[in-house]
Amino acid sequence: MSLFSELRRRNVLKVALLYAVASLLILWIVDHAVSSGVLPVWASEFMLLLLAIGFPVALIFAWVYEITPQGLKKGVDVDQTQSIVYKTGQKLNAAVAVLAVLGVAALVGERLLPEFELIRPEPVEEIPLRPVYSAPEAAGVPKEITSYTMSNGLRIIVWPDHDIPNVVMYNFVRAGSRNEYPGITGLSHFFEHMMFNGTSKLEPGEFDRVMEAAGGANNAYTSNDLTVYQNWFPRSALKTILELEADRLQNLAIDTDLFESERNVVYSERRLRIDDDNEGRLYEQMMATAFLAHPYQFPVIGWPSDIENWTKEDLESYFKTYYAPNNCTMIFSGAVSPEEIFLLAEQYFAPIPRQQPPPPVRTVEPEQAGERRFVIESEAQTPLLHLAFHAGRASDPETRHMELLLHILVGDKSSRLHRLLVEEEQVALSVGGLQMEGFDPGLVYFYLTLPPGADIDAVETRVLEELRRVAAEGVTRPELAKARSIVLADFWREIATINGKASALGNYEVFTGSYENLFALPEDVNAVTAAQIKAVAAKVFQRKNATVGALRSPADAPGAAR
Amino acid sequence: MNAFRALSLACVLLLIASGVNAAGVTLPAHERVELANGTVLLLIEKHDVPLIGLEAVVRGGAVSDPDGLGGMASLLAELMQHGAGRRDAAAFAGAIAAVGGKLSVLAGLEGIYVSADFMARDAELMIELVADLLQRPLLAADQLEKLRARSINLIKAAKGSDPGELLPAYGNAFLFGDHPYGNPVGGSESTLANISHEKLRQYYEEQVGGDRLIISVSGNFNTVAMKARLEKAFAGWRPATMPLPAPTAADKQTGRRVLLIDKPGATQSYFWLGNIGVAADYAKRAELSLANTVFGGRFTSMLNTEMRVKAGLTYGARSTLQQPSQPGAVVISSFTETGTTVEAIDLALKVLGRLRDAGIKEDAVNSARNYIMGQFPPRLETARQLAAQFAMLEQYGLDVAYINDYGAALSAATSESIAAAIGEIYPAPENLSFVVIGDAGLIRENISRYGPVTEMSIKEPRFR
Repeated sequence: MSLFSELRRRNVLKVALLYAVASLLILWIVDHAVSSGVLPVWASEFMLLLLAIGFPVALIFAWVYEITPQGLKKGVDVDQTQSIVYKTGQKLNAAVAVLAVLGVAALVGERLLPEFELIRPEPVEEIPLRPVYSAPEAAGVPKEITSYTMSNGLRIIVWPDHDIPNVVMYNFVRAGSRNEYPGITGLSHFFEHMMFNGTSKLEPGEFDRVMEAAGGANNAYTSNDLTVYQNWFPRSALKTILELEADRLQNLAIDTDLFESERNVVYSERRLRIDDDNEGRLYEQMMATAFLAHPYQFPVIGWPSDIENWTKEDLESYFKTYYAPNNCTMIFSGAVSPEEIFLLAEQYFAPIPRQQPPPPVRTVEPEQAGERRFVIESEAQTPLLHLAFHAGRASDPETRHMELLLHILVGDKSSRLHRLLVEEEQVALSVGGLQMEGFDPGLVYFYLTLPPGADIDAVETRVLEELRRVAAEGVTRPELAKARSIVLADFWREIATINGKASALGNYEVFTGSYENLFALPEDVNAVTAAQIKAVAAKVFQRKNATVGALRSPADAPGAAR
Repeated sequence: MNAFRALSLACVLLLIASGVNAAGVTLPAHERVELANGTVLLLIEKHDVPLIGLEAVVRGGAVSDPDGLGGMASLLAELMQHGAGRRDAAAFAGAIAAVGGKLSVLAGLEGIYVSADFMARDAELMIELVADLLQRPLLAADQLEKLRARSINLIKAAKGSDPGELLPAYGNAFLFGDHPYGNPVGGSESTLANISHEKLRQYYEEQVGGDRLIISVSGNFNTVAMKARLEKAFAGWRPATMPLPAPTAADKQTGRRVLLIDKPGATQSYFWLGNIGVAADYAKRAELSLANTVFGGRFTSMLNTEMRVKAGLTYGARSTLQQPSQPGAVVISSFTETGTTVEAIDLALKVLGRLRDAGIKEDAVNSARNYIMGQFPPRLETARQLAAQFAMLEQYGLDVAYINDYGAALSAATSESIAAAIGEIYPAPENLSFVVIGDAGLIRENISRYGPVTEMSIKEPRFR
């Protein structure tokens, strides 16, 4: 037999033809897939190479093997009287015919049908790898807390807790009255109001309506250091809340009428908290007196003339700088998983572009050179006395020492100042104290309400005497143990709720650089020594470091006729 | 059935279950024990943090103050913490603070309420302190003098700093008159001055005792052990020697009348518009919650929307309901700059009229329903909250269904059922007591349009 007829008999030629037609079809499909973006660019050439390699293999295969009812067998093994090559050949004919028809149809279709693209080819971009979420490193930090900083600088921390089907979200924006200057005082706080008043997508009032209709509630507060937005909602409202937040961060609209009406609301708030409130008035004057240079001197609500004169332009430029994602830290606690939050955050917040970081607050309050004092004369049934001393910032170790000291001096009925001044000597109706824990060095602040007709100077002397005593003699062992117990119990109370969890994590993250520091609290508190407390008292409670303010009615002036 | 069907069924059941959960809050299991002397114990375990919350209620409160001695219960509550058992005032306070505990005793309209919050490891101390202050308060005369003077001066301080705080005292006194609910819980400067040591001791014997006591504890403890401790501490307490006062229902007011409290130089006017509403056992609880949420119970309420958001007249306007054992006050309250006093009050009246005439539409009902249910779980998140909730149910004779069926009741409420409830709860604008604190010289004339005016000065040592 000739080679050619043998080739024919073993169906090699038919296989070759079939292979060729099939290859054409395959290549046609692959080409279209590549141009539509379904397959990568190199797929075409790769397939061509495969098919080219496969061609001689297929031919050899066809020569050596034939199909029998028992399956594939080597031709030499097959009983030639039983061979069904003829039938196989017919099947191959059929296959070739079918593929040929398909091939022609494809070519015709390509010509006649309108060109359409299945998927618009995207510009070739690097496919981002799944973000690496950070787990806590320090021991003692709950392992389920997870954090992530997005590429636009937005920082997100999640603390899952499935006790109740609710979620708390806080957004800590690093914009407070310390970022202001004369002319725009009160703007951060005004912003807090305007953030609820409409975007390019939502009418004024819609933000709250949508949130409350989804079962959520919200609030916000502004301090010297921060503006914090708070949302409390059932899990079912998660996407709604994120949509609302992303919308107002990107699309806040400052409507002129709303601006004016909200200005009035702020004025009303100022009247409530300051003008009509003796405590508020005295506090405002104290801050402005204790701080000569640093922006902590500005009232968070703003000076009246600044409230009256804010412009839309002031607002717009402030928003751009301070409400950028790189200036925000978001905390989620409650019935959520970190993965779902981070994925949703990518979806909703990633499009918000990063901005230049806000200018740092450069002014440092110079060391106080001497005691400052003032008296406000105003209608008051009960005189007020406030004393403030310059102290540290949130991240200073001495701030923890002072915190414990304050629990010994004020705060509960057994505290030194309450026991002595309120209970035993009855020279004050109430006494309280606090320390500012902010980005910059703040104040330790005492506030007393005195009985009508009190001798304010005498009470002041008494307070300073007790502060001097603790600076000279320190605190007792039981007092230190008590302060530790109070701080520890308060820590548990705070993290008992998802709201407390979010608040605590956010404050520590923003003011100390890492939320993980929250969990060092029990250890930190136990490590504070009586000597450290005495030292911080001696450093802070100096007369030349004091600002003393009083508010009393003219009738209560020393030597006034009664 | 095959695996596929079993799986499908499980999925369906799970969906239903999660749907049901989302529509309500279920109180955890609790144990109730009634002791021989009438004291009721309620115990609810909760083990997420190492804390224990306790709420003790002695029925009585301001409604049991003797005539002319308003503030008696309040003063007693304060005094009970100033020395009890073997500890004087300083030692008592010191014992609490030493362990980082919190304890407060306050009088309310119908009870004296002890709230305590301690680390679980200090449970024994907590019980000892609570038992001592209730059963063995020292009630020292010198402490009484001190506390009386302080209470009087704190009222004066509020008059200077935040007169809005005093509106409920003025308002309830004006609305209820001689009815026990008109008695200001904290007393007034003049009634406090009349409380003698002898009278206070007598009041303690007559109105405080084991038959009046509910103790509710929640947190990180074992029920059997805690029950034993509480029984030991309270089972032997004597009953109060007088019966519990049982106020009757006051009649709703018809027509309008005005009380104007002059605070010269006030830059703002604070106002309170009220009438008598409903009691704790008002059956249509869901309708009430929905109506009040929409009307004045949240930021996007009708009142706040009109008065703050749209008109910019105020920082906040709300409606509140007092629901004691007999019908309490239903109140609209807000404040505004002196010059816009009448504008703000008129607006509040207009919104009230709208509520009564038009009721609440379906979309508002749905929104309120979601809001109430969405905001409910955090109110029962901590041991302290749970303890207080169970105590409240016991005090007012309400079943756990009050909480557990709340979600379903909210779902069942309709615009129609709410409209009916509105008519029962909220007064018509023509039937109101108006109480306004402000600069009378500037607002007296305009205020008189609302009805006959009674005027007093904020300096007067009384609320009525």
